[in-house]
Amino acid sequence: MDLAIVWESLPRLLEGAVLTLEITFVSLLAGLCLAVPVAIARLSHRRILWMPAYGYMLYFRGTPLLVQLFLVYYGSGQFQPLLDQAGVWFLFREAYFCAVLTLTLNTAAYTAEILRGAIIAVPRGEIEAARSVGMSGLLLYRRIILPKAFRLALPAYTNEAVFLLQATSLVSIITLLDLTGVARIIVARSFEPYKLYIAAGLIYLVITYTFVLVSRRLELRLSGHRREQPVGGVGSASGR
Amino acid sequence: MTPDAGPREAALRVTNLHKAFGSLDVLRGVSLAAHEHDVIAVMGASGSGKSTLLRCINLLDIPDAGEVHVGGELIHMGFDRRGQRTPADPRQVDRIRTRLGMVFQRFNLWSHMTVLQNIVEAPIRVLGVPRRRAMEQADHLLRKVGLYDKRDDFPAYLSGGQEQRAAIARALAMEPEVLLLDEPTSALDPELVGEVLKVIDDLAAEGRTMLIVTHEIGFARAVSSRTIFLHQGMVSEQGPSRQVLDEPRSERFRQFLSGGDWGRSALTTPSQSGENESP
Repeated sequence: MDLAIVWESLPRLLEGAVLTLEITFVSLLAGLCLAVPVAIARLSHRRILWMPAYGYMLYFRGTPLLVQLFLVYYGSGQFQPLLDQAGVWFLFREAYFCAVLTLTLNTAAYTAEILRGAIIAVPRGEIEAARSVGMSGLLLYRRIILPKAFRLALPAYTNEAVFLLQATSLVSIITLLDLTGVARIIVARSFEPYKLYIAAGLIYLVITYTFVLVSRRLELRLSGHRREQPVGGVGSASGR
Repeated sequence: MTPDAGPREAALRVTNLHKAFGSLDVLRGVSLAAHEHDVIAVMGASGSGKSTLLRCINLLDIPDAGEVHVGGELIHMGFDRRGQRTPADPRQVDRIRTRLGMVFQRFNLWSHMTVLQNIVEAPIRVLGVPRRRAMEQADHLLRKVGLYDKRDDFPAYLSGGQEQRAAIARALAMEPEVLLLDEPTSALDPELVGEVLKVIDDLAAEGRTMLIVTHEIGFARAVSSRTIFLHQGMVSEQGPSRQVLDEPRSERFRQFLSGGDWGRSALTTPSQSGENESP
């Protein structure tokens, strides 16, 4: 089999992979920042907080990402005067911005759901202990609930990050030259879909497994508090 | 009622506390006062409301009626929009809680922090104690409860007795006026009970004001100045520990002390003293 076309295209594919990684990381980071307040609002007893959070999560988890992407990219044009007035139209003209915005909103909704479950799973007794020394509100969240919840959420969150990485391939449809976008263009010119999509797929695979490895490392480091983890010869005088 | 007019405020005063969970009346008008240096043992069968009493004092459970004074300061209660009784000022509750140390049956150490971090967390974040001073104080407390060499371990690597001693150190780090201990040895294996009781005994000797829910009758007799026996959500007997524990007036309390409540009566011969004096 002649792989010359793959080697020739490799630099451009890798360029596309850089854009893929960039979109993934920017969206993950922004999504995480958004997910924390959304998850907390979702768990609030106040209707004015949980209802908007619930509606947001319902929409973004309940509709296809591609539809959301089209809605933002093509739909925003209908509101051009309004967006112009707000001074943000120049952003919505950019496919890059629309892609990152959509992916951020999408991953934030899923991440908020993951965090919601993790927050609920934080042992009640540890929260009561924090209350009993006068902690409440943001301090309680920041010091006790969220650090515990993040640890509990990490495996599920890794899944979400991998899912998002792969979902970024959709942005090629709105003209962005990410890894999939580059592959599509080369395929259109060379009529060699097999080789190029397999090459692109392998690059996704490498990135995905790097994600998973890093996450596993992180999990090990953060779980020093868990007894199951073999930590160099710590003998514990366990009575239980 | 104007007991507050006295020259010395009770460190803790509970007046006519009521609490129901659904249709279950757990507390039906409990009153008690703990003066400085008092060590009060709270006893009672399971379901008699002992734990709920402690939890209502620092508002982990919200009492349906009644008043709690800490060092003469009344915890103000109000009602939320749905008509539920709730603290009128959440910040007052936070402040009051810093003055009431709580030790839980299941320790409830923060599992993502080391023993040392558990102890300095609240003094630094809640009281605003400078880190260095908090660390020095923590080291002092850790020596006191015999855990200095475990200071950098995570709770999962400690035995139950060590966990509970760490939890006691965490509560003491706040320098509370009153220490509430909710069955501090009930979750421990028998051979670990002694090390925790020893620490509590030391605290009593220091003159700490404490309210201890306990089943350890010998310990209560040796350490507590007063004993309260709760039955069906009410104080059914109270007085100086030796007197109350040695000469229980009610049949109910006598049965409890002889172990009848725990179903042991079927296995062992009930005796008047129930358990041996603690060492």
